[in-house]
Amino acid sequence: MSKPTDLVQGTLDLLILKTVALEPAHGWAIAQRIRQVSKDVLQVNQGSLYPALHRLEQSGWIKAKWGESDNNRRAKYYALTPAGRRYLDQEQANWQRLSAAIGLVLEIAD
Amino acid sequence: MRWLYKLPLRLRSLFARQRIEQELNDELRFHLEKSIEQAAAEGTSPEEARYAALRDLGGMEQIKEECRDMRRVNFVANLIQDIRYGVRMLAKSPGFTAVIILSLALGIGANTAIFSLIDAVMLKSLPVRQPEQLVLLNWVSKGQSYVMSDYDGDSWEDSKGRDTGTSFAYPIYKAIRARNNSFSDVLGFADADQQFNVNVAGTSGLAKGQYVSGNYFSTLGVGPAAGRTIVDSDDQASAAPVVVISYAYWASRFGRDPSVVGKAVVVNNVPFTLVGVAAPEFFGLQAGHPTDAWVPLSTHMQVDPSWSRWLPKGETIFSVRTEWWVLMMARMKPGASKEQASAALDVIVQQETSTIKVPPPGERRHDMTLRLPTIELEPASGGLNTLRREFSQPLWVLMSLVGLVLLIACANVANLLLARSERRQKEIAVRLALGAGRRRIIRQLLTESLMLAVAGGACGVVLAYWGSGLLLRFMESGGDQLHLSVSPDLTVLGFTVLVSLLTGTVFGLAPALRGTRLNLTPALKEGAGRVAGGAPGGGRMRPTLGKGLVIAQAAISLMLLVGAGLFVRTLRNLMTEDLGFDRTHLLLFSIDASRAGYKGESLANFYQEMQRRIEAIPGVRSASMSRHFLVNDGQGGEGVIIEGYAPKPGEADAGGVIGIYTHYVGSRFFETLGIPLLVGRTIRDSDTGAAPRVGVVNQAFAKHYFGASSPIGHQFRFSSSTDPLGMTIVGVAGDATYGDLRKDPPPTIFVPFDQHLGILEWQNVEVRTAGDPMSVVSTLRRVIRDLDRNVPMQEVITQTEQIDQATFQERLFARLSSFFALLALMLACVGLYGTLSYAVARRTNEIGIRMAIGAERSSIVRMVLREALLLAFVGIVIGIPLTLAASRLVSSMLFGLKATDPFTLAAATLLMIAVAALAGYLPARRAAKVDPMVALRYE
Repeated sequence: MSKPTDLVQGTLDLLILKTVALEPAHGWAIAQRIRQVSKDVLQVNQGSLYPALHRLEQSGWIKAKWGESDNNRRAKYYALTPAGRRYLDQEQANWQRLSAAIGLVLEIAD
Repeated sequence: MRWLYKLPLRLRSLFARQRIEQELNDELRFHLEKSIEQAAAEGTSPEEARYAALRDLGGMEQIKEECRDMRRVNFVANLIQDIRYGVRMLAKSPGFTAVIILSLALGIGANTAIFSLIDAVMLKSLPVRQPEQLVLLNWVSKGQSYVMSDYDGDSWEDSKGRDTGTSFAYPIYKAIRARNNSFSDVLGFADADQQFNVNVAGTSGLAKGQYVSGNYFSTLGVGPAAGRTIVDSDDQASAAPVVVISYAYWASRFGRDPSVVGKAVVVNNVPFTLVGVAAPEFFGLQAGHPTDAWVPLSTHMQVDPSWSRWLPKGETIFSVRTEWWVLMMARMKPGASKEQASAALDVIVQQETSTIKVPPPGERRHDMTLRLPTIELEPASGGLNTLRREFSQPLWVLMSLVGLVLLIACANVANLLLARSERRQKEIAVRLALGAGRRRIIRQLLTESLMLAVAGGACGVVLAYWGSGLLLRFMESGGDQLHLSVSPDLTVLGFTVLVSLLTGTVFGLAPALRGTRLNLTPALKEGAGRVAGGAPGGGRMRPTLGKGLVIAQAAISLMLLVGAGLFVRTLRNLMTEDLGFDRTHLLLFSIDASRAGYKGESLANFYQEMQRRIEAIPGVRSASMSRHFLVNDGQGGEGVIIEGYAPKPGEADAGGVIGIYTHYVGSRFFETLGIPLLVGRTIRDSDTGAAPRVGVVNQAFAKHYFGASSPIGHQFRFSSSTDPLGMTIVGVAGDATYGDLRKDPPPTIFVPFDQHLGILEWQNVEVRTAGDPMSVVSTLRRVIRDLDRNVPMQEVITQTEQIDQATFQERLFARLSSFFALLALMLACVGLYGTLSYAVARRTNEIGIRMAIGAERSSIVRMVLREALLLAFVGIVIGIPLTLAASRLVSSMLFGLKATDPFTLAAATLLMIAVAALAGYLPARRAAKVDPMVALRYE
């Protein structure tokens, strides 16, 4: 396994990809949605949200488009690319396997 | 398909930076606004909401920079930024930039020029199919084996002290071609001893010829540009003689006239058919020495019948096993091993030489061995290695010289950059204080130095292109026409790029590391980066690095100066050496009437008539002929039996035969060359075949074989001659150089060729003129043409030119090493001057104080000069042992002095000190002119 920071980073990527998989969203909305869905457990640090979005965009997993938000303000909307969807499926499966495995280990330890 | 998304993004990041920056701003501002809105909706006051949102977001600039980093092209973008900044900085001080680029261009250019020659001579492959599969067969033997009692071709001593050569007996070639398992094919070839006389439609011309086996072109994979190449069926005793010419010869002699293909031509009086022209890029097997015409090996006896004369009765050059003259090149089968192949070849050589009878002990030469030679395979992708053997040492020595020059140039540039980075301390301190990373600034500084290096390299390539052409023409003045292409190719350009980048890093790194290691507070406080009185810690260190560089420059310059001194004095020794004959007003040319059908008596008559007509030309004092020129034209020797002389042990074989240098000459030879006659008489017109046979010996001969008594009247004879009649010594002449200029004249016998018609073929003609020798050349040509226009005449040169050719390597080294040494000295001088000027400027304050408290101006001058001389002195002390160690490597290239020549060393040291004093004097004078009042107010 990789270093903990990578794990955190990888996790944030997964959360972002999952969030924009439902519908295109801008950065602020993505952060809000992750917080709401996780019932305030996961607070996305803004300082890492935008670099993560730019990284995912540069990797070709998500694409960005400027669009109209409420009160006619321009906002940058992110949407999943086909390659991003495949990547998400794969990462999601990985995550589930991993968390299940960790769960097993923790049960035995009890 | 991800690249579909990625590529446009990268391109945008590179080329639409402004827009991307704007969008990043917009995106983050939108986020901020939303956060404020939300906070406001939750009931916070707008002021507080804004503050909270900003805090929440963290450092705005930091996020931006992180987002920029995600674009992946930051490296490129930064580079572009650095380059822009660098260009601005360099343009701000054009003088500084020009000096640096010029010194780098000289350094890199010199290296590229020498490297392109090394590439052309040693690294380039033959333009044939898969040259890496080709091998050249060498024999290796400790001493000369009895099986090659007559050897014709290249042989030399290899690095292990063994005799090595490339020629083989023809039956061995046939056997190897038929019976080996490792080669897909083996081709045989031999260069013609003399140029072919190629007569087309009544006009003669010379061509460098080569005898080749029928599979020569097919094995090499060389096709025809016109007509066809030589094939196996041409290389048969019964086949009609055919000749293939090179593309270059086709162009120069026939202007690429397609109608010559298929025409009848006459080569050395033998009718041939010109069947084709080889592919344009194919010049032969020897880089620099192109072949003009190829004929089948089977025509050798007709084209050059003289050879058969030397062979045992009943043998031909194709059947004889003791005459080794054919070279072999083979194409390895894929996967075949060289070791196995050469072991198998050893067996074939053993079988093929088993019938050669071992000479009885009395008939063995002292260096003869009874062991058989073994075969070694040498990679031949670059063709034959003659040129490589000849030039590899000189070229590597030159490469080292220019390498040292480049090092000095680097040190200089490093020094200049160092001084400048101190002047830029404040700028760098400000940038560091504003949060620029040290890495980022080092990168910026390195980018600047690499830019300088690349600019220097680019100018260097131009210099090199011009320089290597000049060098090549100079190398050709050695008499060999070197047809080498030295135009920069990919290898050479790659080399230059590598050298430029390396130099850029070497001279840029140290100043960049030093320049950014700053104690910010004092650096920012100082006015213009001036270090007052007690300099902070770093201030003491920096000049030390600069001084170290100057010392290194002085040491390397000393090495180059001594090298130049040694080479210049070698040349002077050679040029002023007493050759024993008068080298001025002497014209030389070669002629071979035997190639036009003259034989025996008629050949001798032709040469006598030629001599008579040349001597009748106004302005000609006398003319004579000899088998060899005195200088650099090889030597001849005969087994000689001297009657009444008891050979010393080991000097002669059992039959009393001594190997002695012999020289076949015409009448008036000594008079024409200006060799003084000491006793008796010289060789006259009357010494014809009918007259009693005579010989003249030189002083070395008289001294060695007769000591104090006179040799006149003593008899001697040649062991090769079956003629029982001896010759009588009729005169003793002064010693004159014979062959190698560097060697003392050996004991030599001179005999008139008129009395030895059997050996008569070509003649080397010497013409003594009253005035400028070149003024009679055109008349000379006309006289020969009038005599017989079918006899080709080789280029006419003067004796001085010929000696220049013989000493061209020494001239090359004397000139180039002087040039490079002066260049190095100049660079070192600039380095020293720069360092001292900078030191004086830094110490203006201190000098002012010294003068204010009563120091004399002269003591200030002394102080600065002392520093200059100290640096030079330390450099000299370090340089002397280095120089002595390095000069030992070139001792084999010197003449008339040792590598440790004290005079040269002393002269170089003095010159170095003088230059250091000169470099120190200007800054010293400037220091002495400091006005104490101005200096103290200077802060």
